[in-house]
Amino acid sequence: MKAKLHQTRKAKVLYAIIACTLVTVSLLNVGRDRKVTITQYTSIDRPAKIRPDYAGTVVPPNIAPLTFMIEQEGSGYFVKIYSEKGKPIEIFSKTPKIVIPDRAWHRLLDLNRGQQLSLDIFVKSTAVKSSSNAENKRWSRFKTFTIEVANDDIDPFLVYRKIRPGHRTWRDMGIYQRNLNSFDESLVLNNGYFKRGCVNCHAFCGNRAEKMLIGIRSADYGSSALLVEGNKVHKIGTKFGYTSWHPSGQIAVFSVNKVRQIFHSAASEVRDVMDFDSLMAYYLVDSKTVKTTPNLSRKDRLETYPAWSGDGRYLYFCSAPVTWSDKTIVPESYDQIRYDLVRTGYDIDRDQWGPLESVLSAEETGLSILLPRISPDGRWLLFCMCNYGCFPVYQHSSDLYMIDLEAAKQTGQYKYSRLDINSSESESWHSFSSNSRWIVFSSKRGSGVFTRIYIAYVDESGKVHKPIRLPQKDPTHYDSCLWTYSVPELITGPVRATKEKLGRVVRSSERISVKMPITMATPRVGGPPEHQEPWQTERE
Amino acid sequence: MSNSRPKSSRRTPVSQSCPQDTIKQHSSQDLARLLQSSLFFILFYLYLWLYVDLRLIYHGAGIITNFPVFYKGWSFFVPFLSYPGGPLEYLSAFLSQLFYYSWIGALVVTVQAWLLSACIYYLLKAGNLPRIRWICFILPILLLVLYTRYTYYFATTLALLFTLLVACLYSKMTSSQPVTSSCLLTFLLLSLILYYLAGGAFLLFAVVCAIHELTFRSRWKTSLCYLLSAAVIPYVVGLLVLGVGSIDAYSNLMPFSWKILDYEARRRLVAIVYLLYLLAPVTLLVFGLGRRFGARLHFAKRPTGRKSGKKHPNRISNSPAEVFSWYSCSPKLRFFVNSLLLLAIAGGAGFFCRDENLRTRFKVDYYAYHKMWPELLASAQHNPDNPFIAHAVNRALYHVGRLGYDMFSWPQHPDYLFLSDEKYKWMYWQIFDVFLYLGVVNMAENALTECLEGLGGRPMILQRLALINMVKGNLGSAKIYLGALGKTLFHAEWANNYLDHLKTDPELSGDKYVQHLRSLCLDKDCPIYSLFTEKTLLWLLERNSQNRMAFEYLMARYLLRKHLGKFVQNLERLEDFDYPELPTHYEEAALIYMYQTGEPLGLSRYLPSLQKRQQIEEFSRILTGFGGDKKAASRELSKRFRNTYFFYCMYAPSGSNK
Repeated sequence: MKAKLHQTRKAKVLYAIIACTLVTVSLLNVGRDRKVTITQYTSIDRPAKIRPDYAGTVVPPNIAPLTFMIEQEGSGYFVKIYSEKGKPIEIFSKTPKIVIPDRAWHRLLDLNRGQQLSLDIFVKSTAVKSSSNAENKRWSRFKTFTIEVANDDIDPFLVYRKIRPGHRTWRDMGIYQRNLNSFDESLVLNNGYFKRGCVNCHAFCGNRAEKMLIGIRSADYGSSALLVEGNKVHKIGTKFGYTSWHPSGQIAVFSVNKVRQIFHSAASEVRDVMDFDSLMAYYLVDSKTVKTTPNLSRKDRLETYPAWSGDGRYLYFCSAPVTWSDKTIVPESYDQIRYDLVRTGYDIDRDQWGPLESVLSAEETGLSILLPRISPDGRWLLFCMCNYGCFPVYQHSSDLYMIDLEAAKQTGQYKYSRLDINSSESESWHSFSSNSRWIVFSSKRGSGVFTRIYIAYVDESGKVHKPIRLPQKDPTHYDSCLWTYSVPELITGPVRATKEKLGRVVRSSERISVKMPITMATPRVGGPPEHQEPWQTERE
Repeated sequence: MSNSRPKSSRRTPVSQSCPQDTIKQHSSQDLARLLQSSLFFILFYLYLWLYVDLRLIYHGAGIITNFPVFYKGWSFFVPFLSYPGGPLEYLSAFLSQLFYYSWIGALVVTVQAWLLSACIYYLLKAGNLPRIRWICFILPILLLVLYTRYTYYFATTLALLFTLLVACLYSKMTSSQPVTSSCLLTFLLLSLILYYLAGGAFLLFAVVCAIHELTFRSRWKTSLCYLLSAAVIPYVVGLLVLGVGSIDAYSNLMPFSWKILDYEARRRLVAIVYLLYLLAPVTLLVFGLGRRFGARLHFAKRPTGRKSGKKHPNRISNSPAEVFSWYSCSPKLRFFVNSLLLLAIAGGAGFFCRDENLRTRFKVDYYAYHKMWPELLASAQHNPDNPFIAHAVNRALYHVGRLGYDMFSWPQHPDYLFLSDEKYKWMYWQIFDVFLYLGVVNMAENALTECLEGLGGRPMILQRLALINMVKGNLGSAKIYLGALGKTLFHAEWANNYLDHLKTDPELSGDKYVQHLRSLCLDKDCPIYSLFTEKTLLWLLERNSQNRMAFEYLMARYLLRKHLGKFVQNLERLEDFDYPELPTHYEEAALIYMYQTGEPLGLSRYLPSLQKRQQIEEFSRILTGFGGDKKAASRELSKRFRNTYFFYCMYAPSGSNK
């Protein structure tokens, strides 16, 4: 009797296992996209609409798979990606979401550097099924479109800041690094490590993570700059604004800005920012001192956005005249403040600055010239121009422009050209890769509110090709992403200093005390900023 | 409660050997306990559902800043798997969304409270301390206090629940095989699982297990080992394996986490949460040790060969003891008294901890957001002096068409209309709807984006931001907000409808509501630090002379600031609207102006009524009766004119309450 009972129980368990296995297998089978051989199809004489639009772009050979959505209604999708060499990638999907296998993608790109990738897209119509022949006829083949694979790699890591469109409460903001070969994103530092302060801009020396600066503003731990040198992290006891490293890594020039946020009562962009005052100073790494020079800190001008030339012999920066007397209120002519682009020579051996030279004047362009960045090879000067002011990310009119510095050297004239990649929305926060072949920039295209990062190829002639948006594993990621991505900087290797360590240094009382040579718009040395109000943090 | 009894205790040989009547007594006791618990938790549930109204906590009123967001899909879920405590945070975020419906939310919290109570009971039984069963009701009562005061600690209390559940599991698993190695192995396994699920709350588990081993099994080495593991496991799993920060590794989901303590708004009543966390270990330690020492003392005193205790009833002979004895022998009476006492304590806790003002604030904010104006006005009666409530009352009065008639029946202050004082400058939550419905959409957008940063992507915020961006024609941004909203549990339909609508009608020309808001939108751009109220309202009327809200707010502003000249100048705008008569307060203000300046009103259609003229004369007569002494006349005047503008104008100095 007992044995029988035992047998029955055993049998029940066995049946249950079998049933579970069957259910699992069938569920897995249902979830799988079945392979279909398309023998007959209708040709459509236009490329399929996909999002993001990659047609005609130039992509880095080491970029993560460019996932996308096919914006055609259908019940099945087939994508074939192929080039001259290598095995084509074939993707069947029941949904319009196309996710490309990682390994196959990298293999194909690597084999076809300098070549074109072709994408064939087939969409199965949603018509009623009949025979197998009709089944094949239901497929439509769209016109092939191509993507060019560049010869030059892009730096494998990208560092950027993720914040919300409004961020006065400092709830959640951080600096992240993304491995461009994959979709891996990791945190460099967020404000959770120091009681919700502001993690400000980050600046790398020569696209290398071994030497970097991160600006910090915190009510609890004071304002400071984190200096990362290899494995060592130090806290410099003063606020660094926009920073540029000398290629030697021995000095870093930074701006000190007295910022005021204002609101537009009816413009499309709500927020705006202006500097009530600003100057520039420089930090000498070896002597741990801060200096400035009269040309960098004129009382009658606002100096900001420093950028070193590739050889470190010139410092480029933006400068605007102070045309109003009361530096505590927004002047009526706030929309007439325009910045010129100037430069000054520098001899690092003797720590001597040369005279100021005008590169491009606002009078000449009719626009405010901002955010100069020079390619590491020293050839290209990339900058923004917008209608007025100092903060391009809040200006729809902000576009990217470029100057060929080599040509300027020969002709003595700085000829600038507007890039074709601009959109009707703001373009800003651009930077170069270490090989000067790639630029990354923030753009508000497509939304007007949320900045996203774009990657564009700069060929030898200086032509900047159609950009791609920073790809994500889920092609619909940006459709509901409430973050803004800004200040993208390309680096050759990951930031090794852990977020723990960086956070610990921010919280520690140990700091490199520096004496500011001038106290115009600067905070007290080593102390918190002059104004603790969060509007000062309105930097996107 | 009886369900939570361990099987082992039911299978004790003692019960098998009991006589029939003892078994009956036991089962009737169990039934009584079950009844008592059921009664308690039914009332607990009804209190949360009907009195606390958990949808108010879901709403948050801009006061609860840590209410979690929850989105459907893997992309939201996966990050929770990457750190200790993440899975439970995810679960807590999901369950918290159920607060959207008060009755389901109350059910969730009641089940949580019941499980907490059951866990404590189990642990007490496992430690052979069932006599102090009353302790297990303390946790639900403390929870009740937290919810009565509209705090949000759901994730922290859920972590506590999981910890106690796993502690019970440990006790159960090791009760049959209390060999040290087996216990250690079980502990390690459960610790790893629990630490991953509940983060820092695992520390409590280690402490409870250590106490269990120390007091009930007298294994101090094992106990010490458990305590050491509390330091080691977070370090190894949290820091080394999962790569979280050291602070988070030990404190995530604990009441002392920086995520709670760093924010004033979040640490309200955090002491209660500490009590919740401390209750189990302290009870087990104190009573466990007490029982051990008591037993030793007892054995030391007891003469050999005698079974003590049996003679005790005979020894008690005084009358209170007799009463007590009678009480102990009467299960019905015991049940009745115990239940009464329990309900009295719980009721007392609820009664004495309640904060009607705070509750009113939550209710008013909820009604304001949902445009439930009559309900708002009814609720606001409880705490009308609160600036935020007064601000909401003005909105409600406008929407029910009574601002010009009744606003001075409520406490007023010039700053309340727009919360314009410096001290309200961070109060984005309370102000965005006023800006939106006036037509100052940029200020509304700014307030909402700050709310997005401060409170997270809550559906209420996303919905408004989507609407604003549709009104402004920023369809790209609107779609992003709608995309995020489409992933929420209860607002997805609204979002998807709009996303579909945008495909067919990108201009939203068929959407009357959007078109109406567009018709109000300010079109004059100028840089501002904060809202220039008067100028902005005038611009709004310049843009659309039919903007009734702008008009009434402008007039209310003039009345509150006693700018009667400007008020009278703008009376001619009345012609743009279909007022059947001159609103009462406008009449009063116009009469004051006429009496003060001697100038007649240039309005033919709207003239102050005879009754109002008589009122101001009466007002003047009373004042003259006191020789023009305002202070002396105030009592008399307030009796008859308290709700009039005459009284406000006379007695409310600029910048003070009515």
